[in-house]
Amino acid sequence: MQTIMLICCYHFLSIVLYCLWAFVPDEWLHSIGLTYWPQKYWALAAPIYLLVALMIFVLLLFGVNFNNTAPLDSVDNITDVYAQGQRTECSRKGGIPRLRDVSISEVNQMFYLSPKM
Amino acid sequence: MMEDETFTDISGKTISLDCQSHSSFCREFTVSSPKVSIGKVMVYTCSVWLLAYAAFFITQNTAVLSSAILITLVGMMFHIHFVKVDHESLLVIGSLGIQVSSSYASGREITTFIEMSKIKDIVINEAIYMHQIIYYLCVLLKDPSEPNAVSSVVPLFQSSKPRLNCLVKVYKSCQEILSKSQ
Repeated sequence: MQTIMLICCYHFLSIVLYCLWAFVPDEWLHSIGLTYWPQKYWALAAPIYLLVALMIFVLLLFGVNFNNTAPLDSVDNITDVYAQGQRTECSRKGGIPRLRDVSISEVNQMFYLSPKM
Repeated sequence: MMEDETFTDISGKTISLDCQSHSSFCREFTVSSPKVSIGKVMVYTCSVWLLAYAAFFITQNTAVLSSAILITLVGMMFHIHFVKVDHESLLVIGSLGIQVSSSYASGREITTFIEMSKIKDIVINEAIYMHQIIYYLCVLLKDPSEPNAVSSVVPLFQSSKPRLNCLVKVYKSCQEILSKSQ
């Protein structure tokens, strides 16, 4: 709770300072002695840059996700390195079978070939 | 045995499934997509030509009109020859193999044959496709030297993408033949 209040205070303070720098004319700032600030052009350009970057980031995120999805003809949709390398059954009689990846053929037989309940 | 019920594909368009049983170990399944509708063709052509006429009105360049006509014709020929699939069929012959063929609206047919020793199984798998998860029927291929591992996957009915009820029908029928021949 206190960290949130602190973050809000800092955020508000930084906004106030940014507005001060953007609105106060250059001569007043120079007369006080603060001469080495960025050009006033950036008072408008920086927020616009950030918003455009945000929009492009959203689109880019969708694009990256689509690119990384395995296509329909890839073996990654069926199995992977961990499922292929798992140890085969060695359960004791009457015991609970070991947790493992069921092969897709078995899953299909259970779903679509077994008689309806 | 001919069956023709109304199934739909993943986007809701009506498709039709035709199962033919040539013998006890040979079955053929054909999934037909809806044909190119004349209304859609006319709407596209008219909109392209209206745009071209508007461009001609502004620029007064007759090349715009002739290029629009050319683009429309070439686009339509390209579409019916390379893009628009009329029907896809799967022919399963026990102990010989399966044949997958897709024929386009212009009459072109692409056929692939996979022999039975390379086929591990035909299964219905679920995968992420764009923004949704779809069921699709696929052939699991195995390397003869390593019979327990899946070497590659061949998805079936890619252009028509039928929904689960159609796929389950094809799957059950295929499994009857495959279980006897493997």
